This record gives sequence, C-alpha cells and structure tokens, in this order.
Amino acid sequence: MLTPQNYSQDIVELSISAWFYRNRAIAGFDNPARSLYVSVRELMENSLDACEEAQILPEVTVLLKREKETLGTDVLSQGPEIFELVVKDNGTGIPRETIPLLLGKMLTGTKFTHKQSRGTFGLGGSLALLYGQVTTQRPIEIVTGQKGVGYGHRIKMRLDIENNLPIITEEERVPKSMDEHGTMVSFWLQGDWIRSKRRIIDYFTHTAIIVPYASLFFETPDDEVIKYDRVIRSIPKPSIESKPHPKGIDVEMLKSMITSTRKRTLKSFFIGSFQRVGSTIAEEFLTSIDLDPDRTPESMDQEELVCMMNAMEKFNKFLPPSAKTLSPVGTKVLQAGVQRLAPEFVIFRQRSPSVYEGHPFIVETGVAYGGQLPPGANVIRFANRIPLLYDERSDVSYRVVRDLNLRSYGLKQEDPLTFMMHICSTKIPYKTIGKEYIADIDAVRKEIDLGFKDCLRELSKNLRTRNRASIHRKRESRLSAYYAFTAETLSTATGRQVSIEKLMGSQGGCSQ
Amino acid sequence: MSRLSTRVTSHDVVHIIDEVLGTLSDTIEDGVFPEIGYYGSSKKNVKYSQEAGYVPIDESPSFIDGRKVESAKTIAGLVYGLSRFKEHLEQNMSMSLRDFYYMHKVKSVQEVLKISEQTETNRMINLCERVIRHGGTSVPREELGVVSSPKGTFYGDVALSDLSGKQLNCNAAGEYGWFISSRPFDVKIHDINIDAAVFVEKEAMSRNLIELGLPESLRIGVGSLFGQPGRNMRAWIRKLADEEVPILVLVDMSPWSLRIFSTIKSNSIELANIRGLATPEAKLLGLTTDDFWERNGMLKDIEHSLELMSKSDVKCAQQNRNIPAISEDPLLKKENEIMLKKKRKGELEAFKAFGLPLAELKEMYIDYLKKKSADTDVKLI
Repeated sequence: MLTPQNYSQDIVELSISAWFYRNRAIAGFDNPARSLYVSVRELMENSLDACEEAQILPEVTVLLKREKETLGTDVLSQGPEIFELVVKDNGTGIPRETIPLLLGKMLTGTKFTHKQSRGTFGLGGSLALLYGQVTTQRPIEIVTGQKGVGYGHRIKMRLDIENNLPIITEEERVPKSMDEHGTMVSFWLQGDWIRSKRRIIDYFTHTAIIVPYASLFFETPDDEVIKYDRVIRSIPKPSIESKPHPKGIDVEMLKSMITSTRKRTLKSFFIGSFQRVGSTIAEEFLTSIDLDPDRTPESMDQEELVCMMNAMEKFNKFLPPSAKTLSPVGTKVLQAGVQRLAPEFVIFRQRSPSVYEGHPFIVETGVAYGGQLPPGANVIRFANRIPLLYDERSDVSYRVVRDLNLRSYGLKQEDPLTFMMHICSTKIPYKTIGKEYIADIDAVRKEIDLGFKDCLRELSKNLRTRNRASIHRKRESRLSAYYAFTAETLSTATGRQVSIEKLMGSQGGCSQ
Repeated sequence: MSRLSTRVTSHDVVHIIDEVLGTLSDTIEDGVFPEIGYYGSSKKNVKYSQEAGYVPIDESPSFIDGRKVESAKTIAGLVYGLSRFKEHLEQNMSMSLRDFYYMHKVKSVQEVLKISEQTETNRMINLCERVIRHGGTSVPREELGVVSSPKGTFYGDVALSDLSGKQLNCNAAGEYGWFISSRPFDVKIHDINIDAAVFVEKEAMSRNLIELGLPESLRIGVGSLFGQPGRNMRAWIRKLADEEVPILVLVDMSPWSLRIFSTIKSNSIELANIRGLATPEAKLLGLTTDDFWERNGMLKDIEHSLELMSKSDVKCAQQNRNIPAISEDPLLKKENEIMLKKKRKGELEAFKAFGLPLAELKEMYIDYLKKKSADTDVKLI
C-alpha cells in the first residue's frame, strides 16, 4: 500500500532561487561567454535605472579583471576563467535595510510594476550575483551610500540558495562626505572573455548611443579602457507607473485585481483599476455583458471572470492606452548620441504613441548617413533604452530595412547607412524568451516602417541639396575650364590678350 | 543655277573666321557669356523641290547658349577648330577629317575637350560650316581647308587643269581616267568633247564600258561613283552640268541605289546648307523596273536573274517613302513602290546573265545606253 511517507521521500521542494539557478538559461546564463555578457549588462542597467529614476546624470564605471594573468597560452583553446566584476554608479544609493532584499533575494525589486523599465526580467542583477557565487563560491561585496548621510555601508554577503535568503557575513560603516552617493557592487564570476569581448564592447558602444547623457567607463581584462563622456546634459523624463489597460491583462491578473480591490461595485472597480475607463464606458461595457454595474466584485466566480475577460478582449469602445507611462528618449538626445558614430547626416523621428494588444508603445527611428559610418546598411536596435545585440536578422526592424527600396530615396545598397530603432513600451513585444529581438507585429512593423521612410525622405532631401551644391561647383569649374581654354585659343589666334576675369570672376552677372 | 556668284576665296574665309573670333574675344572680355547662332537643317526648315533639290527655307538661326556647360564646351571646340582652319588656310595647307580629329589629341586640348571619337570632330566641322557663312550660304568645309579623301573617277574627252596646275585630258589619265579632285570648284575646264556623261554606281561596270571602248564609240564620259558618291564627285557632276553636259546615271535596281541617285539629283537634307552639290538635271538611265517587267523591257529576258530583296532592303524601301527627294519625285516614287511590291532587286552585273559573246555584249551595252538615253531626251550617236 502506498503511504504518505513513500511520497515524501521523492518529493523535493525547490526554493525560488534554486529553481532560477537550475533554469538560468532562460535569463541568458547558459554558457560562460554569454553569462559574462549578461552579468555586465544586467548590473550596468540596474545602475542606469538607479540614476535615471532620481534624475541624476549617470556615471557608471565597470571594471572587469582576470583573477590571474594567463599570458602566453593559446587563446582559442582557452576555457572559462575567473573574473572580478565591479560596477559602480552615482545613483541614490540603497538604504541599509533593503540591500539584502534588493540584491540578495530573488523576485524582489522595483521592476514588477506596470510601467516602462529597462530590465527584462527584474531579476537579472540578483541572478548575476547568484551565478557568480555558484561558479566561484566567493562572497559578494556591496558598498553604498546615500546623499545627506555622513557614512555609507560596506556589506559582504552570501546567498542561501535553498532558502532564497541573503546571509550577511561582514558589515561595517564607511565614512564619506555628505554629498557623496552611489552604489558599488563587486563579485567574482566565471566567464569567457575571448568569446564575449566583441559583444560586450558592442553593448557599450550602443549603450553610449542611447544614453548619451551618461558617462561610461569600462576597463577590460586586456587593460584597455573604453570611455564615453556624456555629450548632452538633458535626461529623459522617467516613466510613471500606471493602471493596466483592460486589453492588456489576463484572467489571473483580473482575478488578483478583483481579490485585492476595495471597491464595492463592479463599476467603480473598473473606473478605479483600469486606465482610461470612465463611468460611461464602464457602464456600457457591464450592461453589454449583462452584469449589474452595482454588483460587488467579490461575488464574481471563476466562470464569470473568464466570460468577462473574453468580453473585454472583444469590446472595442475602450480608449487606447495612455502613452503617459512611456518615456521615449527624444530626438534631441538620440541625435546627440549618434554623434558618437560621427556620421555626416542624422535624421531622427519620433512616431506618435500606438497600441498593440493593449500595450502602448512609441517607436523612434533614425537614419545616419556618411561620415565615418561603414559602407552598407546596418541596423542598431534598442528596446526600452537597452541595446539588442543578438538575432538581428529575425528582428522586425531588420526586415523593414531589408524591404525598403533605397533607390527611390536616391540611395544605394552600399552607401554608408545606419538605421536606428528604439521602441519603448510597458511590454516590449519580444519574440522569444531570450528577449533579443522584436516580434513581427503588424502595428509595430507599420510604425517602424513609416518612421524609417520619414527619415529617408528627409535624408534624401538633404542629400539632394548637398549634391546640388556639388553639381553647381562642378559646373562652375568646368565652365571656367572651357572658357580658360577658349580665351587662350582666342589669344593665340587673334594675337590679342583675352581674359575671362570679368566673365568668371563675378559670374558675369548673368549666370543662372 | 550657276554657283559662281557665291564662290569665296580663302582670303575671304580667313576674314570671316577673324571676324567671328574677334567678336567672341570682345564678348568674353566684356564679361558676357557668348551666344553663337548657326543654321541647322532638318526636315522642318528644308524644302524639297524637283527643280532645285533640297533648299533651306525659313533661315532663322538656332543659338548655342554659352551659359550652359555643354555649350561652353562646344564653343571651346568651335574656337579651337576655327583657329586650326585659319592657320591652315594662311599656310595654304589642307587637312583631312582624320587630321582634324588628331589635332584634338594634342595633350592640352584633349584634357579640356576630351574627344574620344572622330564622329565628334566631324560634327564640329559640320557646325563650323553652319556658323561660317558667306553671301547668305554656308561656307563648305572644303573652303575651310578640310577635305575628305576624294572618291570617284572620270574618263572621257575632257581637257582640264586641276589643283596641281597641270593641264590634262580625262581620256589620257590612266585606265580609270581622271581621279576627281577634292575641290572640283577650283578645277578649270578647257575643252569638252562629249555629248553626255554617264555615271556608274559600280566601278567594275564602268571599267568594262571603258575597256569595250564605249566612251569613244558613243562620245560619252564615264564616271565611277564607287557606291554613294562623295562630296567631290557630286560637285564635279554639278560642274559638268553647269557646262551643259547631260548627266546620266546608271545604278542597280534597288532601294539603296534610288538613294544614290536622289543624292546626286537633289543633295541631302543634312547638307542642304551647302550649295553646289545638287544636280536636278541628272537623269536616271537604269536599271529601272521597266527594263525587267515591261513588255518591251530591254532586260526582260534576264528577269530570272533578279534576287529577292533582303529584310534590310525592304526596310530601306519603306524608309524611302519618307525621303522627300524620292517620295515627291514621280519617277523615283514609282520605282520604289514597284520594288516594294515585287520584293526583288537587280544588279548591274545582270548583263552578264545574257551569256553573250563579248562582241555582242558591247552591242548590247550600246543599244541599252542609246535606247535609255533617248528615253530621257538625250541623243547619243
């Protein structure tokens, strides 16, 4: 006979952090090369977010050092190595009490809200630390300080993976000036620099374009220094949190919203919990599915909730979601950022807000031409201000660029062209779990397409003006060459000096 | 119809060139972009008349606007060309079209004008003819010292002195007779002892006529056109016509040969601005469609020798319908239409298809020439 004890022998309960560690490939920690890249990226994005939320111009320093020098060995056959990663920012700093929770515990953080944010999972930072500890068994060190306080905190901690809890091993107060603020995280991790170098450097280059208001400093394990000084001092307005849109939720979310609401009637629940729903629309919607607007939300059963959810998806009188939650970069900032590529012409366009599946989004497109750009059409993609580096060819913007008819804008395939696309949304329509490229959704595709075309029109206008000037110059020089020859021939043939000074000098007064 | 009134001396030509160059110098010195007028010829401003061939009408000039880059290049080329002509005329030297082309290969000239083909310099000479005018007509390039390689010969009892200054008789100047001068207007004719001049398209046929002694037996002159006649040949024919020698033309029966005859008779639209190249008095002796297809046609026995017209022959005949000198000439129009209908062509060599002994062939030629010239009111003895 089966007994409860028999069961319990085989059943293992995983803590959340243990589960995430076992499934770390989802968040990009699948091999040492990619893990190193993702760690640098997650921590750097945490730092940028910390600064932007407080409207501080970011200054982020990243140091990546090898544990031991491995000179002289064959670089290609070389396996993973141990690195120390230090990321330092000038953000607001973290209060002592929340340090262990924010960084040491999985699924706690500031990014699980309904607004535009950088992080793709909200746990990348913690997972990077976890990954580091698992691969090196060394503690994590955090130094942080806030403005207006005379001291900061230095904490050394380990993560208890089984219980999803941080264990603080060392702690001390460090003196600092009242004005100093910021956070520094340092830890050890296994990585593969040779195979991730290009990606990490690309990441810095592209980040420098999208956050030109930040100063970035990166010291590589090869002792190279990559440094981007800020080129503009304006920082985009931070996004604000908002209520969900009726078309952007699912049954589970609806259920949890209903259980937690304090509203007494369904009508007031709708008005209070969703964005852009007023009393008229709420009433119209509820009567359309034969629900009493004055019914209490708690009385809804599972079946009714599913019906309501389906009806919400079909109901087409909800106003489109508000774009106030979005924080586009702005053409001025993008314009400044792309100067790092030193192009000859840059055109940026911001599209008006649009909606897919209940999520608002704004597309910003740009086209850079000439200057120091490499020949051929390149695509640089950003989503919520983070660069997307992998799977370029599957991305919707790449497809849009591929389908553009450059010839109709007077451009050639081999012209030095760089296309830039930034999409910001409360939910970026990534195609895969790897979150590296944007899905081909009609609404998104259309916005990107129109944006690029608008930029190209402007670009071709600029190019025409420039070419006209050069054609004009060429015409002038040919004209004067011909007349110089004519005058010389005339001088020889007639025996009198003929000069074209008057003719070409002031353009003879009758040139067109 | 005498052209003597418009004859210019090389001194006149140098004077005209000097005037043009002087005006251009003044214009450029004054800081004004030059504008040069020229007389173009196209179907629009050239009229065909049976009495005079192609004649320019409505002589309003077109202009080269020196403000435009391409026109500035044309002006530079024109000025260079004129300066070359001037120098050659002053030194009494002639040049060929090819010489003129190579003058543009002088490094400093090549760098500016970038000439890559002779057609470009030929066009430039054509333009010079249209710019340099005297007495209301264009000065032909021969007067500018540019001569093409002369083409054509003439045999017969005509005494003349050509540019060499020596007097000669065209029946004693070698087996083909006299090689026609590049500047027939400057040839002096002393004595003419022929009743008519027969110009033959193909050199082989005319040689046969000379070999058989026809010029002597019939008191005629025999010229070889060597295909489409050159400007010198046309000017020589004109000169003979001016001396009241009847002009008879013997060509193939084909649409191309109709063009050859019409060029002799009426000049061409392209060169309508050059006088002295048309001989409206010229008569088409043969071969005509009547010879083969009329009941009494002299050549009807060799009708079987006619060949089928090729595609390009047919196309040529169709285009002939748009050439005024053919379509507006009743005889040529008729010939062209019959050929288009029959789709067959005859060649001068067809006489050999009779298979006659040579003595009889001579009689055949004499009969043919006599009969056909009588048809055109020219009596041969």
